[in-house]
Amino acid sequence: MKLDFILNGQSVSLDDVPTSATLLDVLRDHLKLTGTRLTCGIGMCGACTVLVDGEALSGCLLLVPMVAGRNITTIEGLAAPDGPLDPVQQAFVDCMGLQCSYCTPGFILATHALLKANPQPSDQQIKEYLAGNLCRCGSYYKIMDAVRLASERLHQAQRTS
Amino acid sequence: MTAHTTIGQAVPMIDARERVTGTISYVLDVELPGMLYARILRSPYPHARLTRVDASAALGVEGVIATLTRDDFNDPAIKPVYGPQIKDNPILAMDKVRFVGDPVAAVAAESESAADEALLLIEADYEELSAVFDAYEAAQPGAPLIHPMSEDWIGTSAYFDMRPQPNTNIAHRFRIRHGEVERGFSEADIVLEETFRTPAAAHCAMEPHVCVAHFETPDRLVVYSATQTPFNTRDALAEMFSLPKENVQVFVRTLGGSYGSKTFPHVEPIAAALARKAGRPVKLVLRREEEFVTLNRHPVVARVKMGVKRTGEITAKQVWLYYDTGAYADTGPGVAQKGGYASVGPYKIPHVWVDSHCVYTNLPPNGAFRGYGVTQCAFASEMMMDIAAHAIGLDPVEFRVRNLLHEGDQFATGETLEDVAFEECLRDAARAVNWQAGVRADLSDGRVRGKGVCVLLKGMTTPSRSSARVEIDQNGQVTVHMGTIEMGQGARTIAAQIAADVLGVDYARLTLTLPDTNATPFDVRTTASRSTYMMGQAIRNAANDLAAKLRSHAALFMGVQPHELELRGGAIFAAGKSAPLGEIVQRAEVEKLVGEGEFRNVGSLNPDTGQGVASSHWHLGAVAVEVEVDTETGQVRLTHVHAATYAGRVINRFTAELQNEGSVIMGIGSALFEEIKFDGGQVSNPNLSDYMIPSIMDLPDRLTQHLIEREGAPSHGLGETALPAIPAAVGNAVAHAIGYRVRSLPITPEKVLRAIIEKADQP
Repeated sequence: MKLDFILNGQSVSLDDVPTSATLLDVLRDHLKLTGTRLTCGIGMCGACTVLVDGEALSGCLLLVPMVAGRNITTIEGLAAPDGPLDPVQQAFVDCMGLQCSYCTPGFILATHALLKANPQPSDQQIKEYLAGNLCRCGSYYKIMDAVRLASERLHQAQRTS
Repeated sequence: MTAHTTIGQAVPMIDARERVTGTISYVLDVELPGMLYARILRSPYPHARLTRVDASAALGVEGVIATLTRDDFNDPAIKPVYGPQIKDNPILAMDKVRFVGDPVAAVAAESESAADEALLLIEADYEELSAVFDAYEAAQPGAPLIHPMSEDWIGTSAYFDMRPQPNTNIAHRFRIRHGEVERGFSEADIVLEETFRTPAAAHCAMEPHVCVAHFETPDRLVVYSATQTPFNTRDALAEMFSLPKENVQVFVRTLGGSYGSKTFPHVEPIAAALARKAGRPVKLVLRREEEFVTLNRHPVVARVKMGVKRTGEITAKQVWLYYDTGAYADTGPGVAQKGGYASVGPYKIPHVWVDSHCVYTNLPPNGAFRGYGVTQCAFASEMMMDIAAHAIGLDPVEFRVRNLLHEGDQFATGETLEDVAFEECLRDAARAVNWQAGVRADLSDGRVRGKGVCVLLKGMTTPSRSSARVEIDQNGQVTVHMGTIEMGQGARTIAAQIAADVLGVDYARLTLTLPDTNATPFDVRTTASRSTYMMGQAIRNAANDLAAKLRSHAALFMGVQPHELELRGGAIFAAGKSAPLGEIVQRAEVEKLVGEGEFRNVGSLNPDTGQGVASSHWHLGAVAVEVEVDTETGQVRLTHVHAATYAGRVINRFTAELQNEGSVIMGIGSALFEEIKFDGGQVSNPNLSDYMIPSIMDLPDRLTQHLIEREGAPSHGLGETALPAIPAAVGNAVAHAIGYRVRSLPITPEKVLRAIIEKADQP
């Protein structure tokens, strides 16, 4: 099928995408955007998390007809190659909320969706929201630190603006 | 050391930006022009004679370029068997299949879907043989034999003497014979004997096993592999394809987790054999369910017999261990040996006998898994310590303290222990959970609390070698070349910190090359938490070598003595004069100045007596946990975990804490819920829905840690010190809480409830 959608603010038009392909396949194999990661293939781990109209969803579970015309954000859409990091990314660096970082783009995008829905989440709310993102290295405590720091900074930026 | 050192500080990983922007490259992202995709046909039987395999119809599928079966190995240039310690693993099944999932045939095609379709057309006939799925049963006379055992089997990466037992399934037997164990038991007031079991577990690295192999010419093989062992993989492939080592070039990128799963070849032999036949690059990515039949953690049956005096001294200990290595040995011999001596525990015991067996069964292969065999034996031996303490009415911490080894004491292997701190770790752990306040509390609402401890000793690869090169160019740019694989532990960052510390430059501005076996100095492998200690010293030596060269060149044109010169802030200083480092290279009239460094450790154990040097350097720590058990449901909740881990000297506070925390969290999975389940040898939970790993919801209510440092001590690896201690500590805590003991992992609500209801297992 022909697939049109918005990817990281740009219109994308692909010809001849199999309808059985997932958004994860399209991102990795067709568009070579490798920040979205393949792990479980069944929506259990969150490594392929992307934002679809602002909502954090698993790319491996989205067949291409489901994303036609939608607005997709991947990790590549958060910061320009040589530009400053986005506040969530910066918080993950400052708190070192990662190890092998294979799952990190998924955590960062899920954190974006969380903080949009709930700018000042409690620890329990952070855990519940991120329960679908697995980190086998077990960086969860410093991921929690990063989410708290990002929330604080975004909140302060909003108050001063 | 410079005033601006980052050693010991919490500084971000050197590649943190690439990691949070998703741009860091994994082997999964590697694509070569003309690349094909491979898929594997696997055995549906646990043990069967392969009577026929015919892949000719598969070639009829559009896009299929090559098929591979045993018929391709009639070629004298291919030695189709590999294995790091014992060469028992055929590239594809030859005469037999030995587990459900054993590779039988493979296909390379223009697309994965074409390769998948082709697999359906491969015909294979089998004649079933009787199978065995338990290491203890498989070690008994009369068990179905899985391999013919021969002497010329020793693998290319074996670093100790093998003791395969002919006409049995025992691939390696390791023994400790220290003292006269029967005399020790006769001197005891009480002799206890118990059996414990631990199950298979899955590493579940988020990035699957993946490699891309390409024969650029018929005698030059290039491999991109997500591996912890590029040099060992190179050696194995060179032997397999009759090539000189330098004609096999292995490249590695950062790994998306590994935890031992990506040690030694697993996917590379099939990809390379297909690439050779197809004449094109071949990429092989394992599907998640294939991960569960590629390399797992050894299930273990452990029998422990211990003699104790009422006064608290252990008089004798005898341990029988059966490590189920599955259908192929992989690193099973090493795991059984390391578990064998670790099963003694960090205690001074006059009479110790250990018989540790690495046993073939018809389960998928088992090998290195974070903890390397120690998780299993520590569960048994540290549960036994509590059982013995209760039997003589002593507090479990006090009982341990009375028997702990100290600096200068002799271990059961005969070696003298240096740079150890078992008592400090144990006391720290006990203090953290307020042990003195009592080990049991009834909350009077169906919930009970209990506390438990575990002390841990774990060895490091001995003997081994690491080497490194540190260079500086005319612009003052410093580059580190090392073979240590970055898999999330922060190896590249601490390498940069160490080199920067010596050279007085900013660690964040250093460049590190990626491992390339033709260009990178040799390192035996990234395993056993050896890199911070071994490679760290190799890098320090290389940086010191470079610093000496910078000083001697600068001394010439600055007119001072080399020892008067100080390196800091990217420049060299003496007597009010200074020069940027790049200028020294320019004045030396060379492209770059190069420092080289190496670090070796030595020692070995006699596998028949267990005497010698097990480890030149020890990993040690203690864990204390507090649990809350719901006696209605059997649910165990971790209210507090404390990990006291001996670090010697921390290099990077962030990555050290992350490794220690991650180790605890992985240990929680092993303690409470992780288990690969088998039905007739077939994995019945091969996905992340049915095989659960810890999520953020599984964190203990409170995790505290103490990375214990000592003035003048070297850095100790700590990537797998807390993990092996967690299951035993949890088991001991649950026993204190409910009054009964669960003797097998994982400690599920069902087992806890059964223990309460049946009152069967006294503590």
